[in-house]
Amino acid sequence: MKLLRARFQNFRLLRDLELDFSSDTERKLTVVRAANESGKTTILHALQWALYGDAALPAKGEGFRLHPIDWEVADGRRVPITATVEFELTTFRRGAGGLRETRRQYRIVRSAYEEVDSTARRSPSTVKLFALNETGASPIDAPEALINEELPPELRDVFFTDGDRALSFIEADVALSTKRERVQRAIRSLLGLGVIDDAIKHVRKAATEVNKQAKQIGGGSQLNKIASRLEMIDEETTILESGLDDAKQQFVAFDEKVEQTDRKIAAALQKGDKEQLKKDLETAKRKIKQLDDQLAAANKEHAALFRSRRLAGDLLAPILGRAFEKLEELHDQGKIPNTTVPVLEDRLEAEICICGESLKPGDPESHRRRAHIQKLIDDSQRADAIQKTITGLYYEARPQQTAGNEVRWLDDYEKVVKSRDGLQLLRDEAGREFRALELQLDALPDMDIQGLRETRRQYKEQRDRYLSKRTEIDTRLSGLQREREGLSQERDRLLREQKRGARIIAELEVTQDVANVLQSAYDRITSEELRKVSDLMNSIFLEMIGADPEQGAIIRRAEISSEFDIIVYGPNNRTLNPDRDLNGASRRALTLAFILALTKVSEVEAPNVIDTPLGMTSGYVKRSILRTAVRETAQLVLFLTHDEIAGCEEIIDEAAGAVFTLTNPAHYPKMLVNDPGVAERKVLRCECDHRNECRLCQRRADAQVELQMAV
Amino acid sequence: MADRYFNPFQAIDINVPVDLHEAFTRYCQTGGNAVIDQSPFPRMVDLWFLAICVAARLGLEPADISKYDTKKIIDGSIFGSDPWRVQTLMLLAIGHSGDVQIVSEPRRMMALANGLAVAGLPKVVEMLKVGDADPIWNISDALDGLLRKEKAA
Repeated sequence: MKLLRARFQNFRLLRDLELDFSSDTERKLTVVRAANESGKTTILHALQWALYGDAALPAKGEGFRLHPIDWEVADGRRVPITATVEFELTTFRRGAGGLRETRRQYRIVRSAYEEVDSTARRSPSTVKLFALNETGASPIDAPEALINEELPPELRDVFFTDGDRALSFIEADVALSTKRERVQRAIRSLLGLGVIDDAIKHVRKAATEVNKQAKQIGGGSQLNKIASRLEMIDEETTILESGLDDAKQQFVAFDEKVEQTDRKIAAALQKGDKEQLKKDLETAKRKIKQLDDQLAAANKEHAALFRSRRLAGDLLAPILGRAFEKLEELHDQGKIPNTTVPVLEDRLEAEICICGESLKPGDPESHRRRAHIQKLIDDSQRADAIQKTITGLYYEARPQQTAGNEVRWLDDYEKVVKSRDGLQLLRDEAGREFRALELQLDALPDMDIQGLRETRRQYKEQRDRYLSKRTEIDTRLSGLQREREGLSQERDRLLREQKRGARIIAELEVTQDVANVLQSAYDRITSEELRKVSDLMNSIFLEMIGADPEQGAIIRRAEISSEFDIIVYGPNNRTLNPDRDLNGASRRALTLAFILALTKVSEVEAPNVIDTPLGMTSGYVKRSILRTAVRETAQLVLFLTHDEIAGCEEIIDEAAGAVFTLTNPAHYPKMLVNDPGVAERKVLRCECDHRNECRLCQRRADAQVELQMAV
Repeated sequence: MADRYFNPFQAIDINVPVDLHEAFTRYCQTGGNAVIDQSPFPRMVDLWFLAICVAARLGLEPADISKYDTKKIIDGSIFGSDPWRVQTLMLLAIGHSGDVQIVSEPRRMMALANGLAVAGLPKVVEMLKVGDADPIWNISDALDGLLRKEKAA
């Protein structure tokens, strides 16, 4: 899909705004130049609302006003809101002369009415889709189906994102499971695994039906009872699985809210002149996070002790000692190493025996000697396989043997105990420090902060409630799974005793086999595609930050682990913490690289619409991010501030097929030079590109603005 | 060994008595959200292998696995990633049988290892359970005690 045009009416600041996007395959970049508060985020919301409806708005649209805040009641108490997006789809059809490309254009129109009062009640939106042709527009039924196919809603965050939100894939403040869920959801959606998921559910249903047949032939017997219980287990499992999905999503949502509230508290502290307390809290939190990471690593080291070669060597020292004695004997007898065959072969080739006699073919005596040596070689070769093995054992395993009564594992264990105990002490201390700071926070008379803290407590409670629900459902599901296994075995045994049982068992086996095939296909696709996204993300990321000598010295590579964690490695494979060890530009580059890699691997021709992608970046890295992003996308729409554009003008000259500027008239007189002469709060468009200014968009220099603000 | 990663156990399944299977799900981190202190073994093969070592150390006789109803836990391909374990199983077989020719009989070596694992598993489970701490500390202390006893002797 490529975006062509969009028009918004009465959508917040966008009272009447039309945008057009470049769909050129060579110049695939569209730049919308706009200062802060000039409608960039609103456009991102409006585009998504047009395509996906209220579900794409913040808080799913609940309490989210759409009409302009300064709407005059005199103009009507019900405000008509409309968002129209035109796009192009390219399809390929196999024909006689090869693949035939077809391009079709569509228009989606979404509209709703909103009451002008404090509740801002909104009617359910109406959406219509039209196929555009030379003669007009033909309506198409079920617009959602086409949109969901072309721009899967689960990937909305990938196609439409802002630079800050993109960081959510790696940000350290949210729970590890939240980040994993985000990455996992994005990757699974990308692969369209919903189809396999549906097929697995379908097969499960089929198995339930076959089980019903078993129930019928069982009459009132034990078989009937077991089949009935299995049916109930299947029903309960379906309900619990849906509950588990919900609990997971709710956990992620509340975890994000906790994190957002933390940011608000930090901002309120800064405003309230409590800079030191804010810093102390941040430091304490960082310290706790760091110690938790170290503790987790120490726990892993502890677990690794039970799979260590040293432990096996120490425990098995007596019995392995006997084995080595045996090998030593063979060594003393010259059987290790085994050199007989090569020496004899060498003699045959040289045609002179070790004793000096001739081995030349032709002479009967030589012939007899050659035959004897050949027999020795054949006998040796038969024993060769065993000798090779024991020679290997002797030379490779012997040096690892535990000597005398030395017990090396005990040293390793002692180190682990010291490390875990030491870290735990530090962690306890850090926890106490953090709690003391929280008490200081509690004592602050600031109502805003206390309100936010109360909100945070509530969110955290909710988050923890969903976590506990998750574990509870998980436990119940494993219990049901275990019961199911036992009952299935018993049912199959009873079925074998029945006349009609064999056919039912065969059907059950088929459904099980199909389910297994689907499941392994699901797992395999996930892991293979994950690898592809990971590799591409790594190469894009390294290219983006390649020219930054500071980061280049510490970052070696990035990957997505099989647990769906985005990990960055430094020298000696040391893992780096994106929040602490990466600068702002690298963090942004990493998340953009992830998004671009996802879009590319999905092979979905889709736009990437990104708000403020170059914030916190500068110099060569900024240019490198922009250049790479343009190269890796099918269509790139960037909302850039003037600062972000600075230094990238030449790349935009080359890559952009459309550039225009948006202005918020409310910025006059502080930031705009000329009065736009517009009374309403609304975003205006002019055709100025990244190098030009007109009477409408001409802005005061930053220094001037600061000076004025100071006055 | 000529081929460093030669794995003679590649095609052999590893089965354990059904009654002991629960120990593998309980104490191994293969279930996803495992807590390391509760489930100290990264993989099932780690618990299985430790059970062999403990049995051999305590001089237990290999159990006759044919007497049990069994369930597969892993297959021999898992040793492909840990060549030292292949060597250790071979040396164990030589040490136990006193016959170096046994290295050419993977099934015989595996039968011995599995018999020892089945004999040692109840002991390892006891090590995990007995104590006032989490299983990881209980077993660490038990192994520490076992190795120290020998050292002192």
